This record gives sequence, C-alpha cells and structure tokens, in this order.
Amino acid sequence: MRRHVGIDVGGTFTDAVVINEEEIEKKAKVPTDQDNLLQTLLSALDRLGLDGGNPVDEITVSTTLVTNSILQGRFPPVELYLLPGGGMKLESLSWPVPYKIMSGTIDYRGREILPPDELQWRRILQERRQNPLKSDHVAIVGKFSHRNKLHEDQLAAYWRLAEPEVHLALGHEWGQANFYRRSLTTYLNLASQDLWLEFARELERAVGERGCHAPIKVLKTDGGVLPLDQVRPVETIYSGPTAGVLGAMAQNPDASYVVVDIGGTTTDLGIVLSGSPLVSARGAKIGPYKTLVRSLAVRSVAVGADSAIVREADGLSLARYRLGPAYCLGGPAPTPTDAMCYLGVVPYGDRVRAEEALASLLPDEHHLPADLTGLAESLLEEMAGRLAAEIRAMEQEWQDEPAYKIWGVLHPHEARQFYVWVSGGGARGLRDFLQKQLRVEVRVGRFPEVSNAVGAALARPTFSCTLHLDTVLGRFSLEESGEQGKWQGSIRPHAEVDAFLEKSAERLAAAKGIDLTGTEKEPFDFFPIVQGYRTVGQIVRGRLYVPPGVRGHLNQRPEVGSRRSET
Amino acid sequence: MNKTGILFFPAFDWSLGETHPEREERLLYTQEQLFEEGVFDLPQIRQFAPGMAPLGKALLTQGIFPHPAKHDLTAHLIAAGSTLVLGEALAEGQIQNGFALVRPPGHHAGATVLGNRGFCTLNNEAILINHLRSKYGVKKIAVVDTDVHHGDGTQDIFYHDPGVLFISLHQDGRTLYPGTGFASEKGGPNAWGMNLDIPLPPGTGDDGIHYVLENWVLPRLDEFKPDIVINSAGQDNHFSDPLASMNVTARGYGRITELVKPDLAVLEGGYSIEAALPYVNLAILLALAGEDYDGVVEAEKPTRPQVSFTSLVSRVKELKAEYAQAQPNWVWRPEPYLPDGTWAYIPRMIYYDTEGFQEVRFDRVRKCAHCGGTVFIESRRPPSRGRYALVRIPFGACPQCSQAGYDLWEYLIGRVETVQLQDQAGAQVLFWHLDEGVTHFSTS
Repeated sequence: MRRHVGIDVGGTFTDAVVINEEEIEKKAKVPTDQDNLLQTLLSALDRLGLDGGNPVDEITVSTTLVTNSILQGRFPPVELYLLPGGGMKLESLSWPVPYKIMSGTIDYRGREILPPDELQWRRILQERRQNPLKSDHVAIVGKFSHRNKLHEDQLAAYWRLAEPEVHLALGHEWGQANFYRRSLTTYLNLASQDLWLEFARELERAVGERGCHAPIKVLKTDGGVLPLDQVRPVETIYSGPTAGVLGAMAQNPDASYVVVDIGGTTTDLGIVLSGSPLVSARGAKIGPYKTLVRSLAVRSVAVGADSAIVREADGLSLARYRLGPAYCLGGPAPTPTDAMCYLGVVPYGDRVRAEEALASLLPDEHHLPADLTGLAESLLEEMAGRLAAEIRAMEQEWQDEPAYKIWGVLHPHEARQFYVWVSGGGARGLRDFLQKQLRVEVRVGRFPEVSNAVGAALARPTFSCTLHLDTVLGRFSLEESGEQGKWQGSIRPHAEVDAFLEKSAERLAAAKGIDLTGTEKEPFDFFPIVQGYRTVGQIVRGRLYVPPGVRGHLNQRPEVGSRRSET
Repeated sequence: MNKTGILFFPAFDWSLGETHPEREERLLYTQEQLFEEGVFDLPQIRQFAPGMAPLGKALLTQGIFPHPAKHDLTAHLIAAGSTLVLGEALAEGQIQNGFALVRPPGHHAGATVLGNRGFCTLNNEAILINHLRSKYGVKKIAVVDTDVHHGDGTQDIFYHDPGVLFISLHQDGRTLYPGTGFASEKGGPNAWGMNLDIPLPPGTGDDGIHYVLENWVLPRLDEFKPDIVINSAGQDNHFSDPLASMNVTARGYGRITELVKPDLAVLEGGYSIEAALPYVNLAILLALAGEDYDGVVEAEKPTRPQVSFTSLVSRVKELKAEYAQAQPNWVWRPEPYLPDGTWAYIPRMIYYDTEGFQEVRFDRVRKCAHCGGTVFIESRRPPSRGRYALVRIPFGACPQCSQAGYDLWEYLIGRVETVQLQDQAGAQVLFWHLDEGVTHFSTS
C-alpha cells in the first residue's frame, strides 16, 4: 500500500492529506502563517500524525514561499547584465529591475555578428572592485543566447577568474525564446536561490527529526513534482492554482471541465480537456515580472468565500480583500460565507451570527427574513456572476490560441460539452448560483475542502525535452536544460534525429531523477534550408514530454458511515 | 492604449515545393526574431488566431475557373481568412491597426484565377476589402502596394472600381516580373484615375522611396480621403533581395510604414528570408505599434549601387508628366448580345509563371455615371477551347447595371463551360458549371 502526503499552503489555510491508494486516510487544516511557512508546514504534518511508526512513501508540498518573496520584493540584490545586440529598444518593454548593457551580437540562428568587448568587461569588474555595495549575485543574459551561449560563457569564464565567489546565472539555462522573459526569469531564479535552499534544508531536517524519512517533493507550476533540491525555485510560483487543477483531475478521470477552486480571498480557475490540463502558451507572470516558467493555463479572480462586503454608492459589493474569517465562524465582518450559512447551503457556521452579519448590511426596517434571503442571494449571484465572466473570458482565450500550421487550423480543439467542477470552502454554497449563471452542470466532489492537498499528493513528475537542431551550422540545443552542443549527424537526418531526441531526453530525465514513463511526442517539424535553389540542410524541431497528470484517482463512492472532519 | 493586432500565420507545414522560395522556412527566422525580441509582450500588441475564409467570400472577389474544386485552396483560404480576422478586429474597433503576417501571399492573383501566379492564388487584400464593404459598409478604401513587384492582381480586381484607390510602387516593369504597372495604367472608364502605378528605377533606396511617398502617394491619399488604408507589405525592396535591386533597408521599411500609416499591413512577397525578413517584419511591426525601430539593423550591409537622389527626383517628374498625359486604352465596342448601354472592350493576356501558361481575356465594362458598372470578363486557357465567364455587379450598383448583370448571367448559361456571377451589391455568388448546374455560395 502506498501512502502519499500532500500539503498545500494557501493564502489563508494550509490543507494536508494522507492518501492511501485511492482513499483519503487523514485530513488536516491549519491557518497559514505567511511569516513562517516552514512552521505552518510542520504543524500541518504534525496534525496528520506522521512519525516513524506510520511510514509514508512520499511527501509533496505546494508552497507560496517563492511567490511571496517575489511579490513582496524580499530577495537579495542581483546585478543584471544584458547583451541585447540590435533590434527592438530595451525601453520598449517595462523592466521592473535595473540592468547594465554590454556589447556583443548573436543573430536568430546563433551566428556571432559582433564579438563582445573585453575592455568593457575589464572596466565593469574594476568598478565592482571599488564598489562596497556590489552584489555577489550576477545574472548575464544575451539576446539569442538560447541559440548560442558563446558570449554568456565567455563573459562568465572571465568573471569567475576575477571573482570566483560570485554566484553567476546565465540566460541560456532557460533555453526558450524571449530575451525579455529569459532575463527576468534568470534574475528571479537567482534571487530566490538562497531563500529556497535554506527552506529546503530546514524542512528536510525538521521532517527527519520527526522520524520521517520519506522523500520530500515540491509541486511546480507546470503540474509536475521534483525533489526539493532539484527544482529551480522560480518554478514553484503559483503552484496553488495548479494543485487545484490536479486535485480536480484526481476526482474526474478523462473528462473536459472548468475547475473553480474557491479560496478565502481569491478563486482560481483552470481548464481540463479530456483529462489533460490546458497548458499556458506563454510563461507565468508574477507581479510585474513576465517569466518563461511553464505553467498551466490558470487565472486567479480576486473574490473568495471570505471577501469583505463593502458599501458603495450604488449598493453593496465584494471587495478584493479579506478582513478575517466569516462572521458566522467568529470573524469580524460579513462575507459571502455568511450568506451561504444563512441560506443553509453549507453545513458549517453559526446561523444566528450569519443572520446578524447580513442584517448589519441593511437598514433597520429591512431586517425581515425575506429581505435577508434576498440580500444573501444577490451577494452570491454577484460572486457567481464575476466568476462566470472570468470563466467565459478564459474559454475565449483558449479558443484564440494562435496556430502556426495548416494542420492546426484544420484540426482545432473541438468545442466540447464542458461541465464545471467546484472545490474549496464555499463550493457547495455556490454551486446552484454558478449553475444558474453558466447554464451548464456544476459538480462538487466529495472533498472540496482539501482538493488542493489531494492534487499535491497525487501529482506526478512532468518532463519535457525540446530539441532545436540546425544541421547547417552543426548545432543543437535543448530548451529545458539549456544544453547546447555540436551536431555530428547527417545534414538531412530522419530516423537519426528521433533516436537523438530520445537519448537526450533520457539523459535529461536521469539528471533530474525522473523515471520516463508515459512519454508523448510532438510530430517533428522539418524546415529544409535552401541556399541558391539547393537544399543545404535542415532545421529540425521536436519534443518529447510527459504531460502533467495524477498518479491515481480518488474513489468517488459515497462516503460510508459518519462524516469525519478534522477541521 | 491604441492596440496593434498581429496575425502571425507562417504555415510551417506548407510549401510550393521543397526549394521553392515560398517554402516552410520563409517565416521561420521572422518567428525566431519576433519571439526573441518579446514583441508579443508589448502591452499594445494583441495576437490573433488564424481563421479560414469561406469559399464564397473569395468568390465574391475572384472568379475561380474552371471550378474552385480544381485548385488546392486550403493554405490560401487560411491566409485570406486570417486577413479577414484582423480586418474584422479593425472594423469592430478592437485594434487601431494591424499586421497580417501570413503566407501564402496574394497580390498577383487577379479577377480571374486559372492557377497560381507569382506564388499567389487568392488575393488576401482584395477579399478583405470586399468583405469590409459587404459586412461593414465601408465605402472608400485605398491600397498602397509597397512590394517590389507590380501588384497586378489587385489592380486587375479593382481596375473598374471607383470605390478603391490602388497605388503600387514597384521596380520598373521593364526590369522585373510581372512586366506591367506603367504610369499610363490609370483605371477603367468608370474609375479613371483610381489606379496609380509608380514604376521606379533599380537602386531607388530609402530616401528615394520616402520621397515618392511624401511627394506623390500621400498627397493622392489626402485627396481621396479613404476610410481605410491597406498596405500590401511586400519586402523585396530590401537591399538583400535575390531578384530585385531597390536597396531599401529594414529601417527604410519602418519609415514607409510610418508615412503610409496603414490601418492594415498585409505581407506579400519578399524572399530574402534570412538577410531581410526577420528585420523588415520586425521594423514594420514596431512602426505600426508606435515603437522605435531605429535599432533594427541587418547583419549584412547594402552593396548594390544606388541612383542619385537628384536623378530619382527628375525621374519622378517624368513619371508624373506621363501619368498626366495618359490616354484611355479601351475601345467602345457594341455586341448584339450585350445588354443595353455602352460597353468598353479591353483584350488582355495574362501569364501564369508558376505553371507556365497564358490566359486570354476579353474584359468588358458597362459605362455608367451612377455606379462602377457591370463587368463582364471572358477567359480562356489556350489551347483548351473551354470558355469561362465572370459577371460582376459592383457594390452600389444602379438598377440598370444590376439588371444587365443578371441578363448576362442568363444569356451565358449553356453557352460557355463556366459562368460565375458576383453580385457584390446583392451579396451573393452564383456559379454555373456545365456538369453541375447552378450552385449558390454564401458570402457571409
């Protein structure tokens, strides 16, 4: 019997589960202490009662550690050096961090157009010697470095000789196109490194002290899991919404649906198509930073079950913030949860306090039951309406995804019959209201309160290896690892390139400790390169990957016996 | 913020032949450049998904003979359809301007289509223009064709159309395919002066082409006051182009875009796919988005000779004189079967370079003071004896011209192999074929 632990650190609460095969064995919920996430995780683990006598096979955490540190700007200073060459002006895009420009130009195929200027390097290092405030974190990113890392490597080698103690990060390690995003991604990852390593060390130690020696993994925003020390810290941002989608997948095999995960202050939305989550075509955006971090196509809406209700000129509305728990649960002010409690659509809360909360929003003469019911309904209608609008916008965005091949235009994703899957604290309370707005079936699972923790517990590793090969220049690169090398094969490879991709993938997977099963391949793109009406070689693109998914499904039989709740 | 739409459809799985200039690789480096620069992250840029044009929309603009089913139109319908997606976004106010960066191109595809010519089968801009007129009631549209080759297909489609001003700047037809586009080609009898061809000498360069725009094209546009300006943005004026020799740079193209201020730019030719396209496409897009394109500098430098600015200026003066003195090239020729009215007659030969054959055409247009006039085109591909007929009732047709169109349609059925009726005013296309009878095509 395999036992998996999943913990999801949310903005308000941290949920944890132990899953034994296809049943939830234990659940726990603790308040999140944003200033001490390590302690939060440990108290969640303690509530699950883990110790050496009751071994688990694996622990997966989804944590907001890196997300918070980035959004709050709590990271060490990083010096960013850019080699932008020509093209669009850097100022055309807004840069949330300062940078310095260095010379050197590489073109779109990775050919050197203009070598870097060594005098400039010498000058910069000299200035640093005289600067007591210099950072020991340095990021170097060149335009088209994902096609040729030559200049980044040259500069790094020079730098290491002069300042061996400096932490260097190079842009080509994020081997996808987009100089702007590559720069910011390299920057953020380097900036989060120390914080993450310390957290990982502490967590390993504290869990070990509890007599638990299960490997600890972390959930990435692309839906995959990796050992704590293998993950690139910036890849853990926004894993919460991802956990929500995976949690839904653990309870909905092979269907197409929209995931709505209602939290305290925000509600996360995602899309699953025939059992596979929709992946965002572009990288994740966090605060002012656009990154290359692969993520599921999710969006967060600033409304949740604990959103404060505020009075505006034209009536009441739901605020983007939370003042505390719902009034009916001992909180300070009315929330949508009070409306749900008053209407009796959720099984928790003090109905007397809920009534009090709603009454406080109305003038004295309107404290009749009919008025209070009307108010509760209109508040939940507003909440459902906001979510419905975002769901439609997200569906539209998915329909508007660009295609670059005729095949893609002739074979669009078919318009499927979607249903909506709601999880989170207010799931049962909002179901009917959402169903009325969207006019599609809205379902709630057996475990709406711990859906994210279930997603974390059952997430499996993802994997991707994208090959870009230019046989004329004799060069290849792998996007995910940033590896670049010489191509020794033929000018017009066919079966050869297939074997090469597989071998590269195996090497990459082994380095990350990932077992390659369930791989899929995108069809290769072959671009004949013609010079003077003669084909001189090819550019080949191919990808082998393991899509995000879950390693098992929860039993959906109705619960037997009494409802046991640890909350 | 003013939005710039981009529809990037590189058709990475389509070519006219492995070593053909119109092949998979053509926009590959443009993609690399645009993606790496992060242009899609510019807040004012909005990317659109490609679409497929219904055949009826193409048939409202072009006669496809002997039958649409005889042509492989898929890629062309996607290029045209993608142009329509962006055109609708413009008409509905979602974007302020846009760039349809799509292949295959279209500006050599004319009023009749017997095959592929100059890599074009369907005319993306022309189909878009007629769509904007039929769906949104746009009245006045101008096309500025800055491809190095004469936009003969677009000219052919709108030659008798007083609602469309067509301006083409190109390398002199005596030195380059398709060998047409002289200053004397001013339009048909009901649209005289609505066609402006400016054939320029090889080596015109950035300054030369900007001079022509500022001193001839822009004043003509100001005079016409179009509701929408479309730029057929071919990129073979570039100094690295293997076939032409106009010596324009990527930044020169950026400036062209700034001067013409098109509502929509549509990619046409340009086959210097490494030395030009990644840079020119970037410069055009940045110019449309109102961003600085001054840093867009090619890896290569121009090496070809350039004509001096003074000799270019005097050449333009000669061309203006030639244009002013041009005389109509049609004759008035009555035929017993033609409906009431005075009919101009223009015989033509059109060469299809892709497959190497000639189309023989007899074009006729009914003189009309109220509308663009009924157009009747008879087409043949010798040595085949089959004759194809295209009858067009123009947008805003008067009752007489409309009646004349339907009279011709009825007269022609059974007398030729194929008859196509483009009722642009009534938004319908009727297609009669010897073996199949009449087919209705929806144009919406």
